[in-house]
Amino acid sequence: MQQLNAWFTDLLAGNEIFTANTLGYYADGLATTVQLVFLSLIIGLLLAVPMAIGRGSSRPWIKWPIFFYTYVFRGTPLLIQLYIIYYGVVFVEGIQDTWLWLILEEPFYPALIAFTLNTAAYTTEIFRGAIKATNKGEIEAARAYGMSRAKMMRRIILPSAFRRALPAYGNEVIFMLHASAIASVVTIMDLTGAARFVYARFYAPFDAFLFVAAIYLCLTFGILYLFRYLEKRLLAHLRPQN
Amino acid sequence: MAATPLPLEVINLKKRFGDNEVLKGLSLKAHKGDVISMIGASGSGKSTFLRCMNLLEQPNEGELIVHGESIDFKQTRRGREPANWRQVERIRAKLSMVFQSFNLWAHMTLLENVVEAPIHVLGKPKKEALEHGRALLDRVGLLERADYYPTQMSGGQQQRGAIARALAMEPEVMLFDEPTSALDPELVGDVLKVMRDLAEEGRTMIVVTHEMSFARDVSNQVIYLHQGVIEEAGAPAEVLENPQSDRLRQFLAPKF
Repeated sequence: MQQLNAWFTDLLAGNEIFTANTLGYYADGLATTVQLVFLSLIIGLLLAVPMAIGRGSSRPWIKWPIFFYTYVFRGTPLLIQLYIIYYGVVFVEGIQDTWLWLILEEPFYPALIAFTLNTAAYTTEIFRGAIKATNKGEIEAARAYGMSRAKMMRRIILPSAFRRALPAYGNEVIFMLHASAIASVVTIMDLTGAARFVYARFYAPFDAFLFVAAIYLCLTFGILYLFRYLEKRLLAHLRPQN
Repeated sequence: MAATPLPLEVINLKKRFGDNEVLKGLSLKAHKGDVISMIGASGSGKSTFLRCMNLLEQPNEGELIVHGESIDFKQTRRGREPANWRQVERIRAKLSMVFQSFNLWAHMTLLENVVEAPIHVLGKPKKEALEHGRALLDRVGLLERADYYPTQMSGGQQQRGAIARALAMEPEVMLFDEPTSALDPELVGDVLKVMRDLAEEGRTMIVVTHEMSFARDVSNQVIYLHQGVIEEAGAPAEVLENPQSDRLRQFLAPKF
Protein backbone atom coordinates (compact mmCIF):
# COMPACT_ATOMS: atom_id res chain seq x y z
CA MET A 1 0.00 0.00 0.00
CA GLN A 2 2.78 2.39 0.99
CA GLN A 3 4.68 1.36 -2.07
CA LEU A 4 1.69 2.10 -4.27
CA ASN A 5 1.28 5.45 -2.60
CA ALA A 6 4.91 6.29 -3.16
CA TRP A 7 4.68 5.21 -6.78
CA PHE A 8 1.66 7.43 -7.27
CA THR A 9 3.28 10.49 -5.67
CA ASP A 10 6.35 9.86 -7.77
CA LEU A 11 4.24 9.68 -10.89
CA LEU A 12 2.61 13.02 -10.22
CA ALA A 13 5.82 14.70 -9.08
CA GLY A 14 7.58 13.90 -12.33
CA ASN A 15 4.61 14.99 -14.37
CA GLU A 16 5.46 17.37 -17.18
CA ILE A 17 2.71 16.28 -19.52
CA PHE A 18 -0.53 17.06 -17.76
CA THR A 19 -0.09 20.76 -17.30
CA ALA A 20 -2.92 23.25 -17.34
CA ASN A 21 -2.16 23.76 -21.00
CA THR A 22 -2.61 20.14 -22.12
CA LEU A 23 -5.55 19.63 -19.79
CA GLY A 24 -7.13 22.55 -21.62
CA TYR A 25 -6.80 20.63 -24.89
CA TYR A 26 -8.52 17.65 -23.30
CA ALA A 27 -11.28 19.87 -21.93
CA ASP A 28 -11.91 21.42 -25.34
CA GLY A 29 -11.82 17.96 -26.87
CA LEU A 30 -14.35 16.73 -24.35
CA ALA A 31 -16.67 19.62 -25.20
CA THR A 32 -16.35 18.91 -28.93
CA THR A 33 -16.97 15.17 -28.48
CA VAL A 34 -20.00 15.73 -26.29
CA GLN A 35 -21.44 18.27 -28.72
CA LEU A 36 -20.84 16.07 -31.71
CA VAL A 37 -22.29 12.94 -30.13
CA PHE A 38 -25.19 14.66 -28.42
CA LEU A 39 -26.29 16.59 -31.52
CA SER A 40 -25.99 13.61 -33.83
CA LEU A 41 -27.96 11.43 -31.41
CA ILE A 42 -30.75 13.98 -30.98
CA ILE A 43 -31.12 14.72 -34.70
CA GLY A 44 -30.71 11.02 -35.50
CA LEU A 45 -33.46 10.16 -33.06
CA LEU A 46 -35.83 12.74 -34.55
CA LEU A 47 -35.17 11.34 -38.02
CA ALA A 48 -35.41 7.73 -36.90
CA VAL A 49 -38.90 7.82 -35.36
CA PRO A 50 -40.81 8.72 -38.54
CA MET A 51 -38.55 6.47 -40.60
CA ALA A 52 -39.17 3.53 -38.27
CA ILE A 53 -42.92 4.07 -38.70
CA GLY A 54 -42.51 4.39 -42.48
CA ARG A 55 -40.33 1.29 -42.61
CA GLY A 56 -43.32 -0.73 -41.45
CA SER A 57 -45.65 0.86 -44.00
CA SER A 58 -47.41 -1.32 -46.53
CA ARG A 59 -46.69 1.22 -49.27
CA PRO A 60 -43.62 0.18 -51.24
CA TRP A 61 -42.65 3.72 -52.20
CA ILE A 62 -42.32 4.59 -48.49
CA LYS A 63 -40.93 1.32 -47.25
CA TRP A 64 -38.21 0.54 -49.79
CA PRO A 65 -36.34 3.87 -49.89
CA ILE A 66 -36.05 3.75 -46.10
CA PHE A 67 -34.85 0.17 -46.22
CA PHE A 68 -32.30 1.13 -48.89
CA TYR A 69 -31.05 4.01 -46.76
CA THR A 70 -30.66 1.96 -43.59
CA TYR A 71 -29.07 -0.87 -45.55
CA VAL A 72 -26.44 1.41 -47.10
CA PHE A 73 -25.57 3.21 -43.89
CA ARG A 74 -25.43 0.05 -41.82
CA GLY A 75 -23.64 -1.83 -44.57
CA THR A 76 -20.64 0.49 -44.95
CA PRO A 77 -18.03 1.65 -42.45
CA LEU A 78 -18.67 4.94 -40.71
CA LEU A 79 -15.16 6.08 -41.61
CA ILE A 80 -15.90 5.67 -45.32
CA GLN A 81 -19.14 7.61 -44.92
CA LEU A 82 -17.20 10.37 -43.17
CA TYR A 83 -14.54 10.44 -45.94
CA ILE A 84 -17.19 10.62 -48.65
CA ILE A 85 -18.99 13.51 -47.01
CA TYR A 86 -15.88 15.37 -45.86
CA TYR A 87 -13.68 14.96 -48.95
CA GLY A 88 -16.46 14.37 -51.45
CA VAL A 89 -18.54 17.50 -51.05
CA VAL A 90 -15.70 19.71 -52.24
CA PHE A 91 -16.08 18.20 -55.69
CA VAL A 92 -19.77 18.94 -55.99
CA GLU A 93 -20.00 21.47 -58.80
CA GLY A 94 -20.60 25.00 -57.57
CA ILE A 95 -21.14 24.12 -53.93
CA GLN A 96 -18.43 26.51 -52.82
CA ASP A 97 -20.51 29.40 -54.13
CA THR A 98 -23.57 28.57 -52.02
CA TRP A 99 -24.37 29.20 -48.38
CA LEU A 100 -23.96 25.47 -47.81
CA TRP A 101 -20.23 25.90 -48.09
CA LEU A 102 -20.17 28.07 -44.97
CA ILE A 103 -21.32 24.98 -43.10
CA LEU A 104 -19.44 22.31 -45.00
CA GLU A 105 -16.00 23.88 -45.02
CA GLU A 106 -15.71 23.40 -41.25
CA PRO A 107 -14.87 19.76 -40.52
CA PHE A 108 -17.36 19.68 -37.63
CA TYR A 109 -20.41 19.73 -39.88
CA PRO A 110 -19.50 16.99 -42.33
CA ALA A 111 -18.72 14.84 -39.29
CA LEU A 112 -22.02 15.76 -37.68
CA ILE A 113 -23.86 14.87 -40.90
CA ALA A 114 -22.07 11.52 -41.24
CA PHE A 115 -22.67 10.59 -37.60
CA THR A 116 -26.30 11.68 -37.70
CA LEU A 117 -27.09 9.71 -40.85
CA ASN A 118 -25.28 6.68 -39.44
CA THR A 119 -26.98 6.64 -36.05
CA ALA A 120 -30.36 7.44 -37.63
CA ALA A 121 -30.02 4.30 -39.76
CA TYR A 122 -29.26 2.06 -36.79
CA THR A 123 -31.89 3.70 -34.60
CA THR A 124 -34.51 3.30 -37.31
CA GLU A 125 -33.89 -0.44 -37.37
CA ILE A 126 -33.90 -0.70 -33.56
CA PHE A 127 -37.26 1.08 -33.37
CA ARG A 128 -38.70 -0.79 -36.29
CA GLY A 129 -38.00 -4.07 -34.53
CA ALA A 130 -39.58 -2.78 -31.34
CA ILE A 131 -42.66 -1.51 -33.18
CA LYS A 132 -43.02 -4.81 -35.00
CA ALA A 133 -42.90 -6.67 -31.69
CA THR A 134 -45.92 -4.83 -30.29
CA ASN A 135 -48.45 -7.27 -28.89
CA LYS A 136 -51.17 -7.86 -31.50
CA GLY A 137 -53.83 -8.09 -28.82
CA GLU A 138 -52.96 -4.62 -27.51
CA ILE A 139 -53.26 -3.19 -31.02
CA GLU A 140 -56.58 -4.92 -31.46
CA ALA A 141 -57.81 -3.47 -28.17
CA ALA A 142 -56.79 0.01 -29.33
CA ARG A 143 -58.77 -0.46 -32.55
CA ALA A 144 -61.75 -1.91 -30.69
CA TYR A 145 -61.85 1.16 -28.44
CA GLY A 146 -62.16 3.51 -31.39
CA MET A 147 -58.61 4.83 -31.73
CA SER A 148 -57.56 6.16 -35.11
CA ARG A 149 -54.30 4.91 -36.60
CA ALA A 150 -52.45 8.06 -35.59
CA LYS A 151 -53.76 7.99 -32.05
CA MET A 152 -52.95 4.31 -31.70
CA MET A 153 -49.40 4.98 -32.88
CA ARG A 154 -48.98 7.89 -30.47
CA ARG A 155 -50.69 6.44 -27.41
CA ILE A 156 -50.11 2.69 -27.62
CA ILE A 157 -47.53 1.52 -30.15
CA LEU A 158 -44.76 4.11 -29.75
CA PRO A 159 -44.78 4.34 -25.93
CA SER A 160 -44.65 0.58 -25.72
CA ALA A 161 -42.01 0.26 -28.47
CA PHE A 162 -39.73 2.98 -27.01
CA ARG A 163 -39.62 1.12 -23.74
CA ARG A 164 -38.78 -2.14 -25.46
CA ALA A 165 -36.11 -0.41 -27.54
CA LEU A 166 -34.43 1.24 -24.55
CA PRO A 167 -31.71 -1.35 -23.80
CA ALA A 168 -30.73 -1.66 -27.47
CA TYR A 169 -30.77 2.13 -27.89
CA GLY A 170 -28.51 2.49 -24.86
CA ASN A 171 -25.96 0.35 -26.68
CA GLU A 172 -26.30 2.51 -29.76
CA VAL A 173 -25.54 5.63 -27.69
CA ILE A 174 -22.37 4.05 -26.30
CA PHE A 175 -21.41 2.84 -29.75
CA MET A 176 -21.85 6.37 -31.12
CA LEU A 177 -19.67 7.84 -28.39
CA HIS A 178 -16.86 5.45 -29.25
CA ALA A 179 -17.33 5.78 -32.99
CA SER A 180 -16.99 9.55 -32.63
CA ALA A 181 -13.26 8.99 -32.06
CA ILE A 182 -12.82 8.81 -35.83
CA ALA A 183 -13.79 12.47 -36.07
CA SER A 184 -10.15 13.15 -35.26
CA VAL A 185 -9.04 11.82 -38.65
CA VAL A 186 -10.69 14.76 -40.40
CA THR A 187 -8.77 17.20 -38.19
CA ILE A 188 -11.47 17.70 -35.57
CA MET A 189 -9.96 18.31 -32.14
CA ASP A 190 -12.30 16.02 -30.24
CA LEU A 191 -11.16 13.96 -27.26
CA THR A 192 -9.15 11.60 -29.44
CA GLY A 193 -7.81 14.53 -31.42
CA ALA A 194 -6.57 16.10 -28.19
CA ALA A 195 -4.95 12.82 -27.17
CA ARG A 196 -3.21 12.53 -30.52
CA PHE A 197 -1.91 16.07 -30.15
CA VAL A 198 -0.55 15.40 -26.67
CA TYR A 199 1.01 12.16 -27.86
CA ALA A 200 2.73 13.89 -30.75
CA ARG A 201 3.90 16.77 -28.58
CA PHE A 202 5.45 14.66 -25.80
CA TYR A 203 5.84 11.32 -27.58
CA ALA A 204 4.13 9.71 -24.59
CA PRO A 205 1.57 7.26 -25.95
CA PHE A 206 0.60 5.66 -22.66
CA ASP A 207 -0.01 8.90 -20.82
CA ALA A 208 -1.86 10.53 -23.68
CA PHE A 209 -4.08 7.63 -24.66
CA LEU A 210 -4.67 5.99 -21.29
CA PHE A 211 -5.83 9.33 -19.97
CA VAL A 212 -8.29 9.79 -22.83
CA ALA A 213 -9.42 6.17 -22.47
CA ALA A 214 -10.24 6.92 -18.84
CA ILE A 215 -12.37 9.87 -19.90
CA TYR A 216 -14.27 7.69 -22.41
CA LEU A 217 -14.79 5.14 -19.64
CA CYS A 218 -16.27 7.80 -17.37
CA LEU A 219 -18.61 9.00 -20.12
CA THR A 220 -19.67 5.43 -20.83
CA PHE A 221 -20.33 4.90 -17.15
CA GLY A 222 -22.56 7.98 -17.11
CA ILE A 223 -24.52 6.71 -20.11
CA LEU A 224 -24.90 3.25 -18.59
CA TYR A 225 -26.13 4.78 -15.38
CA LEU A 226 -28.64 7.02 -17.16
CA PHE A 227 -30.07 4.10 -19.13
CA ARG A 228 -30.23 1.91 -16.07
CA TYR A 229 -32.24 4.60 -14.36
CA LEU A 230 -34.54 4.99 -17.37
CA GLU A 231 -35.05 1.25 -17.64
CA LYS A 232 -35.86 1.00 -13.98
CA ARG A 233 -38.49 3.70 -14.31
CA LEU A 234 -39.94 2.96 -17.72
CA LEU A 235 -39.73 -0.81 -17.75
CA ALA A 236 -41.39 -1.21 -14.35
CA HIS A 237 -44.30 -2.94 -16.07
CA LEU A 238 -42.07 -5.85 -17.06
CA ARG A 239 -40.89 -6.54 -13.52
CA PRO A 240 -43.00 -8.76 -11.30
CA GLN A 241 -44.23 -7.02 -8.17
CA ASN A 242 -43.13 -8.42 -4.84
CA MET B 1 -92.78 5.24 -34.60
CA ALA B 2 -91.10 7.00 -31.72
CA ALA B 3 -89.47 3.88 -30.36
CA THR B 4 -85.87 4.32 -29.22
CA PRO B 5 -83.49 2.70 -31.68
CA LEU B 6 -82.10 -0.73 -30.91
CA PRO B 7 -78.60 -0.70 -29.42
CA LEU B 8 -77.44 -3.14 -32.09
CA GLU B 9 -78.95 -4.80 -35.10
CA VAL B 10 -77.22 -7.08 -37.56
CA ILE B 11 -78.95 -8.04 -40.80
CA ASN B 12 -77.87 -10.92 -43.02
CA LEU B 13 -74.17 -10.74 -42.28
CA LYS B 14 -71.84 -12.85 -44.40
CA LYS B 15 -68.12 -13.34 -44.04
CA ARG B 16 -65.70 -15.23 -46.24
CA PHE B 17 -62.04 -16.05 -45.69
CA GLY B 18 -60.93 -16.74 -49.24
CA ASP B 19 -63.34 -19.30 -50.64
CA ASN B 20 -64.39 -20.43 -47.21
CA GLU B 21 -67.65 -18.87 -46.14
CA VAL B 22 -67.57 -18.85 -42.35
CA LEU B 23 -70.71 -16.77 -41.69
CA LYS B 24 -73.62 -17.56 -43.96
CA GLY B 25 -76.06 -14.75 -43.45
CA LEU B 26 -76.55 -14.08 -39.74
CA SER B 27 -79.04 -11.66 -38.24
CA LEU B 28 -79.37 -10.53 -34.67
CA LYS B 29 -81.31 -7.93 -32.74
CA ALA B 30 -80.14 -6.73 -29.34
CA HIS B 31 -82.73 -4.81 -27.34
CA LYS B 32 -81.75 -2.65 -24.42
CA GLY B 33 -80.88 -4.86 -21.46
CA ASP B 34 -80.61 -8.03 -23.52
CA VAL B 35 -77.93 -10.50 -22.52
CA ILE B 36 -77.31 -12.71 -25.52
CA SER B 37 -75.10 -15.79 -25.16
CA MET B 38 -73.57 -17.23 -28.30
CA ILE B 39 -72.58 -20.86 -28.01
CA GLY B 40 -71.23 -23.37 -30.46
CA ALA B 41 -68.28 -25.61 -31.19
CA SER B 42 -64.96 -24.01 -32.03
CA GLY B 43 -64.94 -23.10 -35.70
CA SER B 44 -68.67 -22.44 -35.71
CA GLY B 45 -67.99 -18.75 -36.38
CA LYS B 46 -69.22 -17.30 -33.10
CA SER B 47 -66.07 -15.28 -32.38
CA THR B 48 -65.84 -14.11 -35.97
CA PHE B 49 -69.47 -13.00 -35.79
CA LEU B 50 -68.73 -11.00 -32.65
CA ARG B 51 -65.62 -9.44 -34.22
CA CYS B 52 -67.63 -8.43 -37.27
CA MET B 53 -69.95 -6.45 -35.02
CA ASN B 54 -67.26 -3.88 -34.21
CA LEU B 55 -65.52 -4.36 -37.55
CA LEU B 56 -62.36 -5.96 -36.27
CA GLU B 57 -63.22 -8.27 -39.15
CA GLN B 58 -64.80 -6.82 -42.28
CA PRO B 59 -68.05 -8.56 -43.23
CA ASN B 60 -68.44 -9.23 -46.96
CA GLU B 61 -72.17 -8.66 -46.94
CA GLY B 62 -74.83 -7.50 -44.56
CA GLU B 63 -75.89 -4.50 -42.62
CA LEU B 64 -74.82 -3.27 -39.21
CA ILE B 65 -76.91 -0.75 -37.32
CA VAL B 66 -75.70 0.65 -34.02
CA HIS B 67 -78.18 2.76 -32.10
CA GLY B 68 -80.01 3.62 -35.29
CA GLU B 69 -76.86 4.49 -37.25
CA SER B 70 -76.15 2.23 -40.19
CA ILE B 71 -72.51 1.70 -41.10
CA ASP B 72 -71.65 2.73 -44.66
CA PHE B 73 -69.65 0.39 -46.84
CA LYS B 74 -68.03 0.78 -50.22
CA GLN B 75 -66.52 -1.59 -52.74
CA THR B 76 -62.79 -1.25 -53.32
CA ARG B 77 -60.23 -3.33 -55.16
CA ARG B 78 -59.53 -5.21 -51.94
CA GLY B 79 -63.22 -5.96 -51.43
CA ARG B 80 -65.85 -4.37 -49.26
CA GLU B 81 -64.62 -1.80 -46.78
CA PRO B 82 -66.19 0.77 -44.48
CA ALA B 83 -66.70 3.97 -46.42
CA ASN B 84 -65.77 6.18 -43.52
CA TRP B 85 -63.27 5.10 -40.87
CA ARG B 86 -64.22 8.04 -38.66
CA GLN B 87 -67.70 6.56 -38.45
CA VAL B 88 -66.25 3.16 -37.63
CA GLU B 89 -64.12 4.64 -34.85
CA ARG B 90 -67.12 6.45 -33.44
CA ILE B 91 -69.20 3.29 -33.51
CA ARG B 92 -66.48 1.12 -32.04
CA ALA B 93 -66.33 3.48 -29.08
CA LYS B 94 -69.97 2.58 -28.40
CA LEU B 95 -69.32 -1.16 -28.44
CA SER B 96 -66.63 -1.96 -25.93
CA MET B 97 -65.07 -5.34 -26.25
CA VAL B 98 -63.67 -7.68 -23.61
CA PHE B 99 -61.16 -10.13 -25.05
CA GLN B 100 -60.27 -13.70 -24.26
CA SER B 101 -56.65 -12.73 -23.58
CA PHE B 102 -57.56 -9.46 -21.78
CA ASN B 103 -55.36 -7.30 -24.04
CA LEU B 104 -54.72 -4.65 -21.43
CA TRP B 105 -52.04 -2.18 -22.51
CA ALA B 106 -48.94 -3.50 -20.78
CA HIS B 107 -47.06 -0.22 -20.39
CA MET B 108 -49.89 1.43 -18.49
CA THR B 109 -51.10 0.88 -14.97
CA LEU B 110 -54.57 -0.54 -14.48
CA LEU B 111 -56.09 2.88 -13.83
CA GLU B 112 -54.32 4.34 -16.87
CA ASN B 113 -55.76 1.50 -18.95
CA VAL B 114 -59.25 2.32 -17.73
CA VAL B 115 -59.09 6.07 -18.42
CA GLU B 116 -57.11 5.90 -21.68
CA ALA B 117 -59.95 5.63 -24.18
CA PRO B 118 -62.42 7.85 -22.26
CA ILE B 119 -59.83 10.66 -22.26
CA HIS B 120 -58.21 10.17 -25.65
CA VAL B 121 -61.12 8.83 -27.70
CA LEU B 122 -64.20 10.31 -26.05
CA GLY B 123 -62.43 13.49 -24.94
CA LYS B 124 -63.60 13.30 -21.36
CA PRO B 125 -61.94 15.69 -18.89
CA LYS B 126 -59.07 13.95 -17.12
CA LYS B 127 -60.25 14.54 -13.59
CA GLU B 128 -63.71 13.24 -14.29
CA ALA B 129 -62.34 10.18 -16.09
CA LEU B 130 -60.01 9.35 -13.20
CA GLU B 131 -62.82 9.66 -10.70
CA HIS B 132 -65.09 7.46 -12.78
CA GLY B 133 -62.21 5.02 -13.39
CA ARG B 134 -61.55 4.61 -9.66
CA ALA B 135 -65.24 4.04 -9.00
CA LEU B 136 -65.30 1.33 -11.68
CA LEU B 137 -62.21 -0.37 -10.30
CA ASP B 138 -63.89 -0.34 -6.91
CA ARG B 139 -66.91 -2.01 -8.48
CA VAL B 140 -64.89 -4.88 -9.88
CA GLY B 141 -62.98 -5.15 -6.60
CA LEU B 142 -59.63 -3.85 -7.85
CA LEU B 143 -59.30 -0.37 -6.38
CA GLU B 144 -56.17 -1.31 -4.44
CA ARG B 145 -54.64 -2.59 -7.72
CA ALA B 146 -55.13 0.75 -9.52
CA ASP B 147 -51.39 1.44 -9.79
CA TYR B 148 -50.34 -2.08 -10.71
CA TYR B 149 -49.24 -3.02 -14.18
CA PRO B 150 -51.15 -5.80 -15.95
CA THR B 151 -48.27 -8.28 -15.69
CA GLN B 152 -48.32 -7.85 -11.92
CA MET B 153 -51.87 -9.17 -11.66
CA SER B 154 -53.50 -12.57 -12.00
CA GLY B 155 -55.53 -13.44 -15.09
CA GLY B 156 -58.80 -13.02 -13.24
CA GLN B 157 -57.78 -9.58 -12.00
CA GLN B 158 -56.66 -8.58 -15.48
CA GLN B 159 -59.99 -9.66 -16.94
CA ARG B 160 -61.97 -7.77 -14.30
CA GLY B 161 -59.74 -4.78 -15.03
CA ALA B 162 -60.52 -5.19 -18.74
CA ILE B 163 -64.23 -5.19 -17.89
CA ALA B 164 -63.74 -1.93 -15.95
CA ARG B 165 -61.98 -0.54 -19.04
CA ALA B 166 -64.97 -1.54 -21.16
CA LEU B 167 -67.43 0.00 -18.70
CA ALA B 168 -65.52 3.28 -18.65
CA MET B 169 -66.65 3.90 -22.23
CA GLU B 170 -70.28 3.84 -21.06
CA PRO B 171 -70.98 1.61 -24.04
CA GLU B 172 -74.21 0.99 -25.86
CA VAL B 173 -73.41 -2.73 -26.00
CA MET B 174 -70.64 -4.77 -24.38
CA LEU B 175 -69.11 -7.53 -26.48
CA PHE B 176 -67.44 -10.40 -24.61
CA ASP B 177 -65.22 -12.77 -26.59
CA GLU B 178 -64.84 -15.91 -24.47
CA PRO B 179 -63.93 -13.84 -21.41
CA THR B 180 -63.24 -16.79 -19.12
CA SER B 181 -61.59 -19.24 -21.53
CA ALA B 182 -58.01 -18.21 -20.70
CA LEU B 183 -58.51 -18.31 -16.92
CA ASP B 184 -57.67 -20.90 -14.32
CA PRO B 185 -60.86 -22.59 -13.12
CA GLU B 186 -60.71 -21.01 -9.66
CA LEU B 187 -60.56 -17.50 -11.16
CA VAL B 188 -63.53 -17.93 -13.50
CA GLY B 189 -66.08 -17.37 -10.74
CA ASP B 190 -64.99 -13.81 -9.91
CA VAL B 191 -65.24 -12.74 -13.53
CA LEU B 192 -68.62 -14.38 -14.04
CA LYS B 193 -69.89 -12.72 -10.90
CA VAL B 194 -68.96 -9.28 -12.23
CA MET B 195 -70.67 -10.11 -15.54
CA ARG B 196 -73.79 -11.29 -13.74
CA ASP B 197 -73.91 -7.98 -11.80
CA LEU B 198 -73.68 -6.10 -15.07
CA ALA B 199 -76.51 -8.13 -16.56
CA GLU B 200 -78.65 -7.45 -13.52
CA GLU B 201 -78.16 -3.71 -13.76
CA GLY B 202 -79.54 -3.83 -17.28
CA ARG B 203 -76.45 -3.67 -19.49
CA THR B 204 -76.82 -4.86 -23.05
CA MET B 205 -74.33 -7.67 -23.51
CA ILE B 206 -73.39 -10.14 -26.22
CA VAL B 207 -71.27 -12.94 -24.84
CA VAL B 208 -69.44 -15.67 -26.72
CA THR B 209 -69.02 -18.32 -24.08
CA HIS B 210 -68.48 -21.93 -23.18
CA GLU B 211 -69.94 -21.42 -19.71
CA MET B 212 -73.30 -23.15 -20.03
CA SER B 213 -74.34 -22.14 -16.52
CA PHE B 214 -73.82 -18.48 -17.43
CA ALA B 215 -75.83 -18.93 -20.65
CA ARG B 216 -78.60 -20.64 -18.75
CA ASP B 217 -78.82 -18.47 -15.64
CA VAL B 218 -77.82 -15.00 -16.75
CA SER B 219 -78.72 -14.51 -20.40
CA ASN B 220 -82.23 -13.99 -21.71
CA GLN B 221 -81.38 -15.23 -25.17
CA VAL B 222 -79.16 -18.02 -26.41
CA ILE B 223 -77.91 -18.41 -29.96
CA TYR B 224 -76.43 -21.69 -31.10
CA LEU B 225 -74.14 -21.37 -34.09
CA HIS B 226 -73.12 -24.25 -36.27
CA GLN B 227 -70.87 -23.86 -39.32
CA GLY B 228 -71.74 -20.21 -39.77
CA VAL B 229 -75.49 -20.61 -39.44
CA ILE B 230 -77.76 -19.83 -36.51
CA GLU B 231 -79.08 -23.28 -35.86
CA GLU B 232 -81.24 -22.45 -32.87
CA ALA B 233 -82.07 -19.28 -30.98
CA GLY B 234 -84.41 -18.32 -28.20
CA ALA B 235 -84.83 -18.19 -24.47
CA PRO B 236 -82.24 -20.28 -22.61
CA ALA B 237 -84.92 -22.51 -21.14
CA GLU B 238 -86.12 -23.46 -24.64
CA VAL B 239 -82.78 -23.75 -26.36
CA LEU B 240 -80.77 -25.42 -23.62
CA GLU B 241 -83.42 -27.58 -21.97
CA ASN B 242 -85.26 -28.59 -25.08
CA PRO B 243 -82.88 -28.62 -28.05
CA GLN B 244 -84.51 -29.34 -31.37
CA SER B 245 -81.57 -30.34 -33.52
CA ASP B 246 -79.36 -33.41 -33.10
CA ARG B 247 -76.29 -31.27 -33.34
CA LEU B 248 -77.25 -29.04 -30.42
CA ARG B 249 -78.26 -32.08 -28.43
CA GLN B 250 -74.85 -33.54 -29.12
CA PHE B 251 -73.13 -30.25 -28.27
CA LEU B 252 -74.92 -30.04 -24.93
CA ALA B 253 -74.47 -33.68 -23.99
CA PRO B 254 -71.98 -34.46 -21.22
CA LYS B 255 -68.61 -35.09 -22.86
CA PHE B 256 -67.60 -37.95 -20.58
